[in-house]
Amino acid sequence: MFSRKMVLIVGVIVLIAVNIIVLSVSSKRYTTFGLERIAISFISPFQELVTHTMRFTGDIWRQYFYLVTVTRQNQVLRTQLNQAIGVNNQWQETELANARLRNLLGFQNTISEIVVAAEVIGKDPSAWFKTVIIDKGRADGLTRGLPVVMPQGIAGQVIEVSNHYSKVMLILDRNSAVDALVQRSRARGVIKGESTDRCRLDFVLRKNDVRVGDTVVSSGLDGVYPKGLRIGFVAEVIEHDADIFHEVIITPFVDFEKLEEVLVVLEVQKHDMASGP
Amino acid sequence: MSYCFNIAICLILVILQTTVIPNLSLPGRFYDLLIPFIVYLGLSRPVREGLLFVCFLGFIMDNLSGSPFGLYLTSYFWLFSGVKGITQLLQVRKRVFVITFIVASGVLAENLIFLSSFAIFSPEQQLGGDAFKIVAVQVMWALLTGAVLLIIFRKTHSWLDAGFRALYARQSD
Repeated sequence: MFSRKMVLIVGVIVLIAVNIIVLSVSSKRYTTFGLERIAISFISPFQELVTHTMRFTGDIWRQYFYLVTVTRQNQVLRTQLNQAIGVNNQWQETELANARLRNLLGFQNTISEIVVAAEVIGKDPSAWFKTVIIDKGRADGLTRGLPVVMPQGIAGQVIEVSNHYSKVMLILDRNSAVDALVQRSRARGVIKGESTDRCRLDFVLRKNDVRVGDTVVSSGLDGVYPKGLRIGFVAEVIEHDADIFHEVIITPFVDFEKLEEVLVVLEVQKHDMASGP
Repeated sequence: MSYCFNIAICLILVILQTTVIPNLSLPGRFYDLLIPFIVYLGLSRPVREGLLFVCFLGFIMDNLSGSPFGLYLTSYFWLFSGVKGITQLLQVRKRVFVITFIVASGVLAENLIFLSSFAIFSPEQQLGGDAFKIVAVQVMWALLTGAVLLIIFRKTHSWLDAGFRALYARQSD
């Protein structure tokens, strides 16, 4: 009844339609089918092996060439260490004073979360998405949605967990969003990734004061990231006459190109100031 | 033997792509190394074998990447189908220039599928200003190295095939 060509054309159209429907469903939000863990568990041990081998080889290479300058550096570092000990002492005094003041004001301590250190063993194969694979998983207490931080600031969020490995979506990823505050003016917005090396701070009203160089910190209101963690600084503020929001470009403090170790926050304390003692 | 070879190549390429390539100081982002392999499957392997590995690779890459599930699978499937379609029309297996063009077109097609999916399924998210540059650099890399990789796959496979045939022949004697 139907020619072979006709059946082929109808078949291809049906295939494209099914394809688009499936993609539209999976694009709405990050969906998992449980099988992801198998793929991660299958590939990650090899990624770990290659990464460790590369770092080991790199270390030997560097150490060989750096040996010549080590003696001179040692002298310089000793001097710097003495200075650092002095500075550290001052900081300890400040920290003690800070702790006393916090107790007086009834604020919660914002740096008491339990963290797990993890090593980055693989990066996203695509140029359009920004995720990494880390060498800690469910066996280490990780679950989906946990925040991942660095001493410099927020790195991302755990989005997939297998027994010994996890996938982390970096704040640079186009699907990432972090509720944030401009530290100086307390202007609120949402940090969104662009899958480049910069982010945007969306939904900042034009009446709020935002300047280039301002530090942006997490607000804690998204229920994922602890309050007050550094994210980045304002690199550019663009004003549009017809828009009620600022267009704010943020440069993250974390250098994602050199990401090697990260900290996963296992238990985020809620920082609702109104519920304080 | 072909299946073992394909699995080994898949594994090597995925590991290279997620651990070694990101740490190299290359100008711009390198293209998806699996595209030459998909093109190789389309040009040189039977449909059933090729399709199996297209699905396998799509599944693995969808899970290792932060992409919506099915995006890599879609790209690889249509790329594979496209290459199979071209081979029905043209005799391209041995022509290096045409192979280079096909690999570069594959890289371009994958990026266009990705960008189209962003535009269709999340139009509210703006695309970075350097999207064009990313695609252009990847296509340039593909033009320079794509055909070489494809030839390496083909030569290694035929070399291993000949080796195993000789081994079986010796054992049967």
